Amino acid sequence: MTSIHARSWSSSMLASLAVMASSIAAGCGGPDVDSQPTDGAASDHPRVALIMKSLANEFFSTMADGAQQHQREHAERYELVVNGIKDERDLSRQVALVEEMVAAGVDAIVIAPADSKALVPALRRARDAGIVVVNIDNRLDKEVLEQEGIAIPFVGPDNRNGALAVAKSLEGKLATGDAIAVLEGIRTSFNGTQRRLGFEEAASGAGWEIVDSQSAQWEMSKANTIASSMLREHPEIKAILAANDSMALGAVAAAKATGRGGDLLIVGFDNISAVQDAIKEGRVLATADQHGDQLAVFGIEHALTLLDDPEAKVEDRETPVDVVTAETLR
Amino acid sequence: MTRSLLETRGVIKDYAVRVLHGVDLDVRAGEIHALLGANGAGKSTLCRIIAGLTRSSGGTMTLGGETYSPRDKQQAESCGIQIVQQELNLLSTLSVAENLFFNRLPRRLGVIDRGALRRRARVALDRIGLNEIDADTATGTLGVGQQQLVEIASALDRDCRVLILDEPTAALTGDESRRLFRWLDELRSQGVGMIYISHRLEEVTRLADRLTVLRDGRTAATVAAHEVSPDGMVQLMTGETSDESSHAGQWRSHAGSHSLLRVVGLSRLPMVDNVSLEVRAGERLGIAGLVGSGRTELLRAIFGADRAEAGELYLGEDPTPRRFDHPSAAVAHGMAMVTEDRKQNGLLLSLSLLINTTLCSLDRFSSKLGYLHRRAEASETARLLESLETRCTSIEQAVGTLSGGNQQKVAVAKWLLRDADVFLFDEPTRGIDVAARRRLYRLFDSLARHGKGLVIVSSDLDELLETCDRITVMSAGRVTGTFDRSSWSRDAIMRASFAGYRRSGEEVA
Amino acid sequence: MKHQDVGETSPKRSVRQTTSSLLASSIPYVGMVAVLGVLVLIFGLMSRNFLSLTTLASLANQIPDLTVISVGMTLVLIVAGIDLSVGSVLALSSAVVGALMVDGGWPLWAAVPACLLAGAGCGCFNGVVSVYARIPSFIVTLGMLEIARGGAYLITDSRTKYIGSSVEWIGTPMPGLFVSPAFLLAVAIVVCGQLLLTRTVFGRYLVAIGTNAEAVRMAGIRSEPYAISVFAISGLLAGLGGVIQTSRLSSADPNAAVGLELAAIAACVIGGTSLAGGRGSIISTFFGVLMITVLQTGLAQVGASDPTKRIITGSVIVVAVLLDALRRNWGKAHD
Repeated sequence: MTSIHARSWSSSMLASLAVMASSIAAGCGGPDVDSQPTDGAASDHPRVALIMKSLANEFFSTMADGAQQHQREHAERYELVVNGIKDERDLSRQVALVEEMVAAGVDAIVIAPADSKALVPALRRARDAGIVVVNIDNRLDKEVLEQEGIAIPFVGPDNRNGALAVAKSLEGKLATGDAIAVLEGIRTSFNGTQRRLGFEEAASGAGWEIVDSQSAQWEMSKANTIASSMLREHPEIKAILAANDSMALGAVAAAKATGRGGDLLIVGFDNISAVQDAIKEGRVLATADQHGDQLAVFGIEHALTLLDDPEAKVEDRETPVDVVTAETLR
Repeated sequence: MTRSLLETRGVIKDYAVRVLHGVDLDVRAGEIHALLGANGAGKSTLCRIIAGLTRSSGGTMTLGGETYSPRDKQQAESCGIQIVQQELNLLSTLSVAENLFFNRLPRRLGVIDRGALRRRARVALDRIGLNEIDADTATGTLGVGQQQLVEIASALDRDCRVLILDEPTAALTGDESRRLFRWLDELRSQGVGMIYISHRLEEVTRLADRLTVLRDGRTAATVAAHEVSPDGMVQLMTGETSDESSHAGQWRSHAGSHSLLRVVGLSRLPMVDNVSLEVRAGERLGIAGLVGSGRTELLRAIFGADRAEAGELYLGEDPTPRRFDHPSAAVAHGMAMVTEDRKQNGLLLSLSLLINTTLCSLDRFSSKLGYLHRRAEASETARLLESLETRCTSIEQAVGTLSGGNQQKVAVAKWLLRDADVFLFDEPTRGIDVAARRRLYRLFDSLARHGKGLVIVSSDLDELLETCDRITVMSAGRVTGTFDRSSWSRDAIMRASFAGYRRSGEEVA
Repeated sequence: MKHQDVGETSPKRSVRQTTSSLLASSIPYVGMVAVLGVLVLIFGLMSRNFLSLTTLASLANQIPDLTVISVGMTLVLIVAGIDLSVGSVLALSSAVVGALMVDGGWPLWAAVPACLLAGAGCGCFNGVVSVYARIPSFIVTLGMLEIARGGAYLITDSRTKYIGSSVEWIGTPMPGLFVSPAFLLAVAIVVCGQLLLTRTVFGRYLVAIGTNAEAVRMAGIRSEPYAISVFAISGLLAGLGGVIQTSRLSSADPNAAVGLELAAIAACVIGGTSLAGGRGSIISTFFGVLMITVLQTGLAQVGASDPTKRIITGSVIVVAVLLDALRRNWGKAHD
C-alpha cells in the first residue's frame, strides 16, 4: 500500500463513497460494503474491481451482466465491484475510477480501458500498490507499457482476426474487383483500428476495391448519414463493412433509403441483440461474436489465477471470436 | 467680445435620414448655454457628437480655437468635455464609489486601492452636497434622483472645460435641483462652459446666460436668456406664435358623483403606508410628492404589480374588497397603468408600433382560435396613433427608434385601445417635448369627459395644477394632504410634500 | 386644436400602414439561400454525384428529425429560454417506442402517442420548474438532459431495439413521390410553426415575452402559461423527432442524438434567432437546418476526413452567423 500515502485526507471517505456507489451500480448482488476498506479487506475472499467503459453501451452492459452472473455462481471465490463511465470518451473519469478502486483496497482490477495510452500511468500506480491488473477488450498500447516499465496481461479477442473472419463471409458473394466501403469506428480507438485493418486485409486478399472509408464514430445515426452519402457517390458499392453493429444498422437504413435494400451486403461486429433480428431478416449478412458476456469473465478468471499464484507468468490470453450468420442463428 | 470656448459650424448628421442640417452653436467659457428644442429637434444628437459618442457627417468644431473632432468618448473626455446623459449610465450592482471612478479606479500594483477610492469618492460626493450618501452603498439601492446626482458628481470630478447636462433635473426633487444649481453657479465662476438641456423653461430663465433653440435639426436662434420669456422660448421652438402658455382658463371639470375606485388603507412598507384615496368618474386625481415619496410604489400596489401587504380596493359600486396579485387581474377589472419607465417595463422597444399598441387588446383582433386579423390591427393602430399625432414613418417601425414623446404616445395608445375605467399615469410627461405634453393634456381632458377616472403621478407640480381636479400629496409613503381647485396653493402642497419627512425627523430627534 | 402641430414644422405625414409584401418578407432569406447555393455548387463540383435527384431525396429523408427539434428550439429561444434536453428527450421517446413495440408488442399507432406524451411530459417538467421556480432554463434542461438519457438507458436496458419494417414507412419515401411522410410532416410543422409565430396571439405573446417579460406583465398578461407551453411544445417535438429517427433507422437507439441540441441551436442561430430572446423565424431556422445537413452529407460524400468535417462545419456556422449580423446591422443603419 505504498502509494496510498500520496492520497489526500479524503481518501477513506472517497473510497467508501466509491464502494457504496459501485455496490449500488452492481445491484443487490454486490459485495458487502466494508466501512473501512483501506484498512484491508476483512473478508477472506479477494475483491475484484471490474472497470468498464460506458455501461450504457449494450456491449459493456452485457459484459458486466456476464461477470455478475459468474460472481453469483462463484460467490465463495471472490467479490465483485462493477463500475462504468458515462461517456465512452470520458477518460478522466475512468482514471479517477482506477484511483478510487486503489484507495478502496481491492485486490485486482480488470479494466476495459477507454483509451489505450492514457490509462497506463494510473494502472502502473495500481500495480505499484500491489494490485493485480488485467486488461480486457481494448488493448493497452505496447510502447507506452514499455515506457512505464510494466507488463499488464491482455485477455481478449483478436479484433483484427475477428474482422478478417467476418469479412470472409462475403467471399463467394463478391467477385474480384468489386467495390466495397468501410465504416470505421473512432480512429483513436485500438479496436477500431484493428477491425479496419482486418477488413483491409480481407479486401486485399480477395481483390475487392475499398472505394470509401470513413469514421462514423461508432454511432448509428452518423453511420446512416455517411453510408447514404457513400452510396450516392459510389453507386457501384456492393458491400459495406461496419466496425460495429450500430453502424451496420445505420447502413441498413441507408441502403433501404437509397433503394439498395435488396442487394447491398452489410456486415457488422459485436453481435448485439438488435442486429440478430436484422440478420434473420437478411438485411445484415454477418457479424462477429466475441462472446462479450464472457469477456469480463475471462479477465476475472485470469486475475484470480494471478492472485492465487503470484509467481504465475504474466501473459496474454486470446479469447475466441465466432462469425454469426443467419445459418448459425438458426 | 468674449471668445468662444466651443464652437460648431454647420454640423451635419445623417442616420437613415438627415437629422442635423448644419447646426451652429458657440459656448463661451463661464456661461451656461441652454439648448432648447422639441424632442426630435436634434439636441441630443448634437450633444452626442460634441461628447464623442457619435461622429458627425459634416461640419467643423473648434475647442479653445483648435480643431476638435473626437473619435470617441474617451478622447472627448481627455479634451475636457464631460456629458451627463438623461439615461442613467451607472452599474447598479457596483458601489457608488466604484461608479464614480469607474474607468479610472485608483490602483496600487494593479490592485484597487479601496482606501483611496473611498476618500476620493467622499470628496466628490460632498462637493455637490451628497453628504448623506455612503460611498459603499450599491448604486442600485439609491433612488433615481440620487443616482442622477451621483452621475453628475462623477462628471464634475473630472477635469472639465465643457460640461453637457441633458435634462439633469428630470429626476431631481426641488431641493436636489437647487443644490445642483448652486454648483453650476460655482462652475460658471470657474470658467467652465456648460450646455444645458431642459424642458423646464423656468429653470432656463433662472439659470442660463444665453440660449440656442434648435428646430428640426437647424439652429433657429441664439439669444440672451434674459431677453426671452418662457412663452417666447416655446414660440421659438415651435416656430409659431402661441397665445396660450397656460390652459388654466380653459380647464373644465368633468367629475361626476359616483366612485370608480376606492383605496382603503393600502400598505406595502416601507414605501406605501396606509394610503386611502378615491377616484370618481370623470375625475383627474393628481398625486404630488417628492421623488421617493412612494407614489410609483402606490400605483404599482394598486395595479397588482407589487403585492400589497394590507388594505383593500373597491371598484365602482361593487362592495367586494379586492387586492390584485397580478396586473392581469387589475386589467380584467378595468384598470390601466402607463408606467414611469418606458424602457424597463412600458414598451417593447425592439418591436413595432403595431405590436406595442395592440399588445393588450389582441383578443379583439383575433379569431376564437387565436388567429390574428392583421389588417384590422394595422388600421386600428394607424388610426389611433394618428389621432395622437404620433410622428413615425410606419407602424412597422421599432418603437425604440421614436423620440421620447412619441414613445409615450404609443405606451398610452396601448391602453386607449384596450380601454379601461381607471387609468393610472406615472410621470406621463417625463422627458417628452412640449407638443407631446400638450397632446397628453388634451387626452386627459377627453378621457375625463368620457367618464374615466384618472390618477396622475407627476413631479411637475405645474402639470398637476393645470390638469387635475384634485391633488393628493404623498410624503414618506403616507398621504399628507388632499386639495381641490378651490383650496390648493403651491405653498400648501409643498408644505404637505415635506410633512412626512419632517414628522419622522422629529421622531428621530 | 390649434396646438396639435406644436414642434412640427415639416408637412405632417400621416401614419403609414405597411402591409409587408411578399418581396419584402423574403429579403431575410436571400442571404441564406445564397450561402446554401454556394455550398451545393462547391459540393457539386467536388463530387461526382452530388447534384442529383437521389441526393435531394436523401437530404429530404435526413432532415425531418433535426427540423422538428429546431422548430421547438426556435420557439424556446424566442421566449429567451434554451432547451438543452432535446437530444436526450428524443432518445427517451425513441426508447419508449422501441420498448413498447419490441418488448410490449404494442402496435405503432399506440406506441407513438405514448412516446409523444413522454416527450411533452419532459418538456412540461422543464417549463414548470424553470418558470415557477424561476430557475434558468439552461440549468433545468441540463438536468433533464441527464434524466432523460438515463431514462432511455433504463427503458431499453441499454440495448438498441431493432424494430424493423413496422416503423419504416414513416421515414421511407412514398411510392410515386420521392419524399417520406416524415418529411411532409416536418414541412407541415415548419409552416404551422411559422404561422403560429407570426399570425397568432400565442406567437405574438412569445415574441413579446422574449423581448421584455416585465413589460408584458405590466400590460396585464400572465406570461407563465405561454412560457410553459413553449417548453412543452419543444418536448413534444423532440418526442416526434424520436419517432422520426426511430423510423429512419428502424431501430431505437438509447445513444441516439447525443449533441443534437447543439446542432438545433446552431440551426436557429444561423437562421438569425437571437439567444437573448424576442427575435427568430422558423423559416430561417429551416434554412439553418438545410445548411447544416447539406454540409454533413456533402462532406461525407466527398469523403472528407473527420477533422476536416469538424473544422469546415464550425467555420460555416460562424460565417453564416457573421453574415446575418452584418445584414442586420446594415439594415439598422438604413432604417
